[in-house]
Amino acid sequence: MNENETIELKPGICLSWEEIRKELPEIKGDEEILKRVWEDNEALAYMYIWHLLLSF
Amino acid sequence: MLTMEQLYQQRLKRYTTAMRNEKPDRVPIRPFVAEFTAKYAGFTCQQVSHDYNLAFEAVNQCARDFDWDAMVPNMVYVWTGLTQAAGIRYYAVPGLDIPENVGFQYREPPEGQAFMREDEYDLLIANPTEFLFNVWLPRASKDVCAAGEPVNLRNNLSFLKGGMALLSYFNAFGPQIQKMRNDYGMVSAISGILKAPFDILADKMRGYIGLVMDLHERPEKVKKACEALMPHILHNALSGADPDKNVPIAFWMHRGCTPFINWDHFNNIFWPTLKPIIEEIWRQGHQTLFYAEGRWLAHLDSFLELPAGSIVFHVDQDDVFEVHKKIGHKFCISGGIPNYILAYETPDKVRALCKKVIDEVAADGGYIMDSSAIMQNDTSIENLKALTDFTREYGVY
Repeated sequence: MNENETIELKPGICLSWEEIRKELPEIKGDEEILKRVWEDNEALAYMYIWHLLLSF
Repeated sequence: MLTMEQLYQQRLKRYTTAMRNEKPDRVPIRPFVAEFTAKYAGFTCQQVSHDYNLAFEAVNQCARDFDWDAMVPNMVYVWTGLTQAAGIRYYAVPGLDIPENVGFQYREPPEGQAFMREDEYDLLIANPTEFLFNVWLPRASKDVCAAGEPVNLRNNLSFLKGGMALLSYFNAFGPQIQKMRNDYGMVSAISGILKAPFDILADKMRGYIGLVMDLHERPEKVKKACEALMPHILHNALSGADPDKNVPIAFWMHRGCTPFINWDHFNNIFWPTLKPIIEEIWRQGHQTLFYAEGRWLAHLDSFLELPAGSIVFHVDQDDVFEVHKKIGHKFCISGGIPNYILAYETPDKVRALCKKVIDEVAADGGYIMDSSAIMQNDTSIENLKALTDFTREYGVY
């Protein structure tokens, strides 16, 4: 596994915000909105792969 | 004369009352009509499999013409346009791989070509989602490149087209459900999907034979893999559940029963990695519809461990009368009208069986009329009309 293996991912997420956060420059605004929207889009990718498995 | 909304509310109340194992005004009718809808509407299996708008149209023609209480918005659920866009290998597509009037087929790979190898359990257990993207999908899709391989146009397109097709399809269900309600007073029968962790491992990863071998050679790995899948399967089930908590999450039951697996494997792996999911779904206010494909009579004692009313048990090849005696005091029952009778027998035979089921199973409520398995295009229109008309006329409390 890659370096992400130490971060326990909750269902609904493929790449955790905590991991991505490390790659970003200093956040000058509201981190919560960045995290929320990141996770909303993560949920779409998660839905794709899991529904391919479960539904199709 | 009822308005469509009044008709909808009447049917919803009838359906949900029965599912709570109580007695409604009539025996509700909730037929899981799949390729039957194509036959009725004059479409081929290819048309309703590959063009979901035609599938919706076929459902709506049935909703218009049959006095049913609830239907699935599209029981030919696998949109093969999506699976083709994603490069999925495992379906035989009507009109492409098989004749245009044969329902789509799932083709499980031979043992040596399973989408997951026997030595990959630890990878799956460590991070199931990453495993699906990096290992499973490149094998299940002919277009997706394996991790480490150079990507190409078809790889990129498969994700873009597949993802957008999935959204397009899922977003179309809202208007379809609204149309069923507004135009035909028809209730959408289920919401959300559940499969047992064990079944997913068998169906889509190791294959049945591979998994049976693993149960003997590495049972602890199998159990840990099922446990790793549990939170994801629960999450997906709840994310599609009915926000109004009226209709159940559908649980499609495959090969977790004897004799596909033995008692020890059911008791130690299948059931312990499924039961907590059902209990959590119930704790959050949703019922689960056990669509018990095959024969599950041997396992009814296990299902009786669940809270009263938490599930609806759908009878396929079990004896509906035996099932009712065993669990009818605790759970609503549906189905039990064999498909071969609806396909090949006379309307009189259909009516006679419906009468017996209504008399013996539905007498105190808690029963929903339906065939045993989903109805494909071998179902006789005349016989399904007989089931519908007789149940409406005779199934009054």
